[in-house]
Amino acid sequence: MDIFGSFALALAFVCAVYAFGGGIAAIFTRHPLLIKSTRQAGMATCALIFLATFSLEYLFFSDNFANAYVVAHSNRDLSTFYKVAALWSGQEGSLLFWSFLLAVYVLSVLITYRNKNGELMPYVGVVMAGVQIFFLTLNNFVASPFKALASPGADGVLNYVARADGSGLNPLLQYPEMVIHPPNLYSGYTGFTIPFAFALGALLARYPGEKWIHLTRKWTMIAWMFQSMGILLGAHWAYAVLGWGGYWGWDPVENASFLPWLTGTAFLHSVMMQEKRGMMKVWNVWLVFCTFLLCILGTFLTRSGIVSSVHAFAQSSIGSWFVGFLVVIISVCLGAYLKNRDYLKSENQLDSIVSRESSFLFNNLILLVSCVAILSGTLFPVFSEWITGNRISVGAPFFNKVNIPIGLLLLFLTGVGPLLAWRKTSTESMKRNFGWPLGIGLIAGVIALVFGFREIYSWVCLILCVFVASTVGLEFYRGAKVIRARSGATYLASAVDLTMRNTRRYGGYIVHMGMVFVFIGLSGAAFNRDLQKDMQVGQTMQIGPYSLLLQGFDSRPEKNYTAQRMLVEVLRDKKPIMMLYPEKRHFSTNEQNGTMVAIYSTLKQDLYVVYAGDSPDTQLPVLHAYLNPLVKWIWLGGAVVVLGTLVAMLPNRRAVLVLAGAPQPAAQPLTHGLTPSATLRDGHD
Amino acid sequence: MTRFRACVAFSVFLLIAAVPLITTPAGAQQTDHAKQLGGKLICGVGTTICSCKQILTQCNHVGCMNSGMMLKTLDAKVANGDPDESILQGFVLEFGTAVLAEPPKTGFSLLAWWLPSIYLVLGTVLVIFVISRWRKRPGPQAATAGRGPAISAELLERARAQASRETQD
Repeated sequence: MDIFGSFALALAFVCAVYAFGGGIAAIFTRHPLLIKSTRQAGMATCALIFLATFSLEYLFFSDNFANAYVVAHSNRDLSTFYKVAALWSGQEGSLLFWSFLLAVYVLSVLITYRNKNGELMPYVGVVMAGVQIFFLTLNNFVASPFKALASPGADGVLNYVARADGSGLNPLLQYPEMVIHPPNLYSGYTGFTIPFAFALGALLARYPGEKWIHLTRKWTMIAWMFQSMGILLGAHWAYAVLGWGGYWGWDPVENASFLPWLTGTAFLHSVMMQEKRGMMKVWNVWLVFCTFLLCILGTFLTRSGIVSSVHAFAQSSIGSWFVGFLVVIISVCLGAYLKNRDYLKSENQLDSIVSRESSFLFNNLILLVSCVAILSGTLFPVFSEWITGNRISVGAPFFNKVNIPIGLLLLFLTGVGPLLAWRKTSTESMKRNFGWPLGIGLIAGVIALVFGFREIYSWVCLILCVFVASTVGLEFYRGAKVIRARSGATYLASAVDLTMRNTRRYGGYIVHMGMVFVFIGLSGAAFNRDLQKDMQVGQTMQIGPYSLLLQGFDSRPEKNYTAQRMLVEVLRDKKPIMMLYPEKRHFSTNEQNGTMVAIYSTLKQDLYVVYAGDSPDTQLPVLHAYLNPLVKWIWLGGAVVVLGTLVAMLPNRRAVLVLAGAPQPAAQPLTHGLTPSATLRDGHD
Repeated sequence: MTRFRACVAFSVFLLIAAVPLITTPAGAQQTDHAKQLGGKLICGVGTTICSCKQILTQCNHVGCMNSGMMLKTLDAKVANGDPDESILQGFVLEFGTAVLAEPPKTGFSLLAWWLPSIYLVLGTVLVIFVISRWRKRPGPQAATAGRGPAISAELLERARAQASRETQD
């Protein structure tokens, strides 16, 4: 099966090269057969990558320990669940997985637009094939997952060998979220290839108008949603597995995943400027380019070993390939831009500084400043070592100091932006929209102070969260009120109806509400407490309102590891609430240890308990307990963000009904009879 | 109008009245002090013992062999009443500058602290420049004057709406 996989990858490479070269020829000749054959070559590339990926999974499931990658990342006792995840647990497999996800996107695009946008699609196909060629080069020639184990015989000739069992999967990866987190994150990374391909294709083709923006909006949102989910699931994994009580450590690999998310978020906002006003065209194209470049840069940082990280793959020479690819992308993007930049001229002027347009500009500014600050902080140790010869660390305290004020400013704009009208916002409108939310936010701040909030950033964050939540709530309330007056439905039904009539706008508000929840959760970090104690059976320790009673220990042999558990009873006001079982796991296959944190989570706070090993002084087991306020809001916020994104991707209900009931002739579009300013003043999106 | 002003004035008054509350210093304990200092250090940098590169007080997960020793040393120095600067310098001598969780605010490392502010200033200047250019730019109809047949706003809007309808999937 490893030969089959290798062959499928080699053939995929050939097909991708044909899709690329033939695509370029098709652009110049416009020969219909050539266009069709290159599209089919693109589809064949994807199908062959699928075959190669399934081949590798088959090797895992069949415990084929003649394959070097399977030996390094699996063993017989590894559960089926984690054999799936073993695919992306190492350098070679994760690169194949990258190609696999990219192929899913590419195939979807090729099928969706097979009979549409004939002018643009050959360009898009060439760009997508170009990206696939790079990853297939890595899969085939640099980091093939289909290498067989071999050892030199007495005659010096290599003989194929098979091991009885594998080395097993890294214990840190044997956690349910590691089966979900990487696919999500990689889906985000690879998904940004599609808007990149459309942007570059449209620029190369000088494709008229904002059509490419319309075409890529959903693809961008899908990639952004996966990236958001991937980041949050990664944070939850760090929280539940690493056992240090936190979820975000500003590790270089974490930062690498956050950078394209920031530029992607900026693009999702500024793209509206181009759709509605024909402005920021250069900016949008470069935001898409930068997002894709940051995806590749992030992959380079993770895989090259240039920055140290607990999450990074083993140091390898693969980094130079990524540097080469980055240079090629930048050159192509720059060349295309310089050649066709006159095609990107803005159509409109700015009527007022107090407008939606300005808010988008400042929103983009803040997101980009945050992105560049994180990037330079991440790379600063490398530059410092190059220039001064002195290695320094740029850790969490630095990033927190820099990014907390930026994040708060962004939160403020999250509340302000959607309430500003396009073109110009009148003073009356500002008073009507901001008066109550501002007042409610400030009152909440005072109440918080009275209840003991003393941490300045958390306090400001709380005020802003209430402010933004109020603005979003009022928007829903006002809209629902109008619908309710007409239909007589309940407020909830009216709000749902309102959302479905303009899914993009109200889906966006739901996403903003999700971000408010995330910020509420983040603000709780200022009040974290922890306590560590050597414990005897029957002994208790007090943390916050909870008493932790150590009832005993047990040892639980599992198929792939042995778990030592503490049996901890949680009491509040002397009443038992629940049992917690923090674990220490020993994986005999690779002689590694792992933790399994036990968490009692409520909306108010998390009681987070770690079995922190045995004390070298007393030989007693050490219980480390944390009280982390509001953490659950972060995960809740993530779910709301995903929900909002899904809503925003739905078609508007009204548009569907109108089109179904009374089809509009091409010469009489829906907006016929309305002036551009009238449609814009509605303030949609 | 009056209600709005009253609402804002009341809110501002409450905010000002609350300011003294926020400046009340929170009580600090000895262990908190050690934790605070530990938050400024990275676990085991400069040695090959711990490759996690995590903050010292957060690097207590199973498998980290270095943090326990460092934390003990830190606790002992704090209990001994050593000044913070001297404690941190002690670790710098032992492990190198990289043991500090954030770049020192001296020499080349100072640049790391300045860069975010520089980005913000440059970005703001850029945004102001863009806004001023946009404000000076003539409207769409005037912009097309003298460059051949002009596209009317209505036609442009119709084309956009049509493109939007055709591409809605």
